[in-house]
Amino acid sequence: MAVQASEPIIRVDNVTKTFLGETGKTATVLDRITFNVGNEFLCIVGPSGCGKSTLLRIIDGLDTATSGRVLFHDQAITRPSPKIGVIFQTFALIPWKTVLGNVEMALGPTAVPHEEQTSLARKYIQDVGLEGFETSYPKELSGGMKQRVGIARALALQPEVLLMDEPFSSLDALTAENLRREVLDIWRDPAYPTNAVIMVTHNVQEAVYMADRVLVLGGRPAKILDDVPISLPRPRNQRDPGLYDFADRIVSKIS
Amino acid sequence: MATKLAAPEFPGNPKQPPRNFARNVVSGTLVFGVLGFVGAELAMGGMLAPILANPLTIKLPYYVARTLARMSIAYVLALAFALAYGITAALNHRASHVMLPLLDILQSVPVLAFLPIVFLFFLSRFPGSFGEEISSIILIFTAMVWAPTFGVIAGVNAIPQDIKEASQAYGMGGIQYLRQVVLPAVYPELVWTSILAWGGGWYLIPIEEYFTFGRCLAPPCPPHTLPGIGFYIADAANRSDLASSVFGVMVLVGIIVLIDRLVWRPLERRTDKYKYESVTSPTANAHHESRVVGSFRRAEGRLLTPIVSFLKYERAYLGSFLETAHLRPRLHISDRMRLHDRWAKHTLAGRVASIIIFAFLFFLAINLLSNGALSSVESGITIIQTEVGIPALFYDTGRSLLRILTSYTIALTWTLAAGMLIARSERVSKLLVPIFDIGQSIPATALFPIIILLLVRPNLGNPFALEIASVLLMLTGMQWYILFNIVGAIHNLPADIAEATAAYRIRGLRFAKEILVPASFPAIIIGSIQAWGGGWNATIVSEYISVSGQNGSPTVYQVPGLGSLLNRALSLDPTIGTVIIAATILTMTATIVIINRVVWRRLLKKADKYKFEA
Repeated sequence: MAVQASEPIIRVDNVTKTFLGETGKTATVLDRITFNVGNEFLCIVGPSGCGKSTLLRIIDGLDTATSGRVLFHDQAITRPSPKIGVIFQTFALIPWKTVLGNVEMALGPTAVPHEEQTSLARKYIQDVGLEGFETSYPKELSGGMKQRVGIARALALQPEVLLMDEPFSSLDALTAENLRREVLDIWRDPAYPTNAVIMVTHNVQEAVYMADRVLVLGGRPAKILDDVPISLPRPRNQRDPGLYDFADRIVSKIS
Repeated sequence: MATKLAAPEFPGNPKQPPRNFARNVVSGTLVFGVLGFVGAELAMGGMLAPILANPLTIKLPYYVARTLARMSIAYVLALAFALAYGITAALNHRASHVMLPLLDILQSVPVLAFLPIVFLFFLSRFPGSFGEEISSIILIFTAMVWAPTFGVIAGVNAIPQDIKEASQAYGMGGIQYLRQVVLPAVYPELVWTSILAWGGGWYLIPIEEYFTFGRCLAPPCPPHTLPGIGFYIADAANRSDLASSVFGVMVLVGIIVLIDRLVWRPLERRTDKYKYESVTSPTANAHHESRVVGSFRRAEGRLLTPIVSFLKYERAYLGSFLETAHLRPRLHISDRMRLHDRWAKHTLAGRVASIIIFAFLFFLAINLLSNGALSSVESGITIIQTEVGIPALFYDTGRSLLRILTSYTIALTWTLAAGMLIARSERVSKLLVPIFDIGQSIPATALFPIIILLLVRPNLGNPFALEIASVLLMLTGMQWYILFNIVGAIHNLPADIAEATAAYRIRGLRFAKEILVPASFPAIIIGSIQAWGGGWNATIVSEYISVSGQNGSPTVYQVPGLGSLLNRALSLDPTIGTVIIAATILTMTATIVIINRVVWRRLLKKADKYKFEA
């Protein structure tokens, strides 16, 4: 739970993203975004559609920046890496694969020997509390359980960096609250190698509760409006009144 | 909490530039420019001369007008029927019990099987060109009508409950409800299904305009009584004038593309307005263009901004012009292919009643045709036993089945390969899909005369060549169904799944095996069912080919099968012929039903596993 102590793992350097418009005009979505991510839980907040998800996709190498670059340990990211795990808003589970199959899928293209993949997948399924559901299909699971599969799939890679794109916004409030706490527990558990987390959300309360640092994105094209360290001790309470001061500061920046 | 702002309004993606009529005309001119260019190429190869020498070329505008008139009249009738039947069936709960199952029966009988019956009937009542015109319009109607009818029903059923309740609460009723709620709800479905309906109509046009179907039994044959573009193509092919017939096909394709541009595209664009839910995912579109954008920017810079942006626009527009693949209607129609699922939902009484009504109509038609000579079912069976023989009937069925299976195997193999290529690379997809789309827009039947000219004529008396030609003709009627279902499935792969597989580096063979094939499995099955329907339809025109020789007397080439049996029956005495026609249609229908039950139904059940959640 080191706060900005270490050297940066990911450097986002002057990233600009432009889309081609209908009449041949271009629309700039991200404008010269620069920040570093160390061993910390970083949240990026901003209004819907401001380009947060595009930024996350560029960090994962799913999309390319129009200019600027993203460095992962001084290496430019151009394509997805097995050292970065991703959790999706809509879970993105393969409907014809079982829970186990979905988690194993992520291990398929890695160097993990084939025999060990299943046992590794089983371990992470257990860790997210889905023991006994290994042979279930996604459609038999509730939203919260589906996202647990998504989390297990990302953790199974034993990634250095975890990217989360609005991971709780498809869940009901109660489920989301529980899952938020569990994700933080996992992140703080030294048994997991993942230290850097980047989470995109438009829920300011959620960002303040979870993050060490909140980047506020906004404007058209989007710029970094503010960089707010959340200096509250952990473990935190989701109803801690102290959270509201930070939240107010962030909301005032956006609106 | 965070303020939610509206998503940034990208001026959109190049797939959908703003359109207006003037632009459509410009693009229309562009098409003709391309056609003109191809024409010039032909001329350089010395092929313009035969086209100009063809006395019918000058009549081509007249032919086109006649064909279009035929199509339009049939379409207006089909539209009226679809609206009346569809809205009644969807809104009147009691009537729907019989109307829905009856519709299911009617649309599953191969259209082309009706062809000889309708021609026989109307020609015997109204000999000459009037009878031919009526029967051809009725046939186009039967080919066009089912898709829009199902579309109307689907549209009415898609009206959300809250809208229904709201309109009730505001006291909206009768005509007002129809105009304000029902018709707008039906509009998108009607447009999509109309595109399919016209496709079905175009398939019939060449057949009607040149296939004889017993209309010319004794040579010398009277001059053609059904002038049109299909006749032009076939006439040229008959005279071994390859240049003219290819030119005719080009004109036909030009017309189809133009109608698509001027009518369907503008109408389709308005469908979004009337939809209750959006189908496309905005994220998928936005990210789609990004890579293209990058290269555009780097390559062109800002120096020539005005010119470059104009060119970009035109390029984007040209791209969209080529992308005519109407995936939505194609996918949409897939739903109604799940006939069995729906059939089981109809009430038993409704099912029985509709079967009785259908049987009544069928036997009424047979009776009218045979002039009441058919006294009983036993006498009919006796006729079949003496004239054809039950074993021969089975043999013919088997031969047709084998032919369809061969075509199907070929079609499935190449379309799967093409699907892999399209999924693998955006660039290949952009190149191939427009080519396929142009390919499928050519009514397969318009190519028949050319295939016959090139393949059958030089190999007269070689049964093997005939068999190959027959399979090839069938293939043209089957392959596009499978291909476009696969393409549609690839396009419909949910954006998040595509992202996840990319993020977790599922690529290449692993991607094909674990994602692509399972994801398109339901589409492959649906496409296969459609293709088999197309295949059975094609048996009637591909197994029995009558080509008029130089002296005007028709030469018949045939391979054994149900299709050729049906055609042979036409030249027999009406009493006997009608019985054989009826037996053939019943055998064909029974075979289709059995195959559906034994093969497709099981596979469809399996396919459910591979569906994405809505």
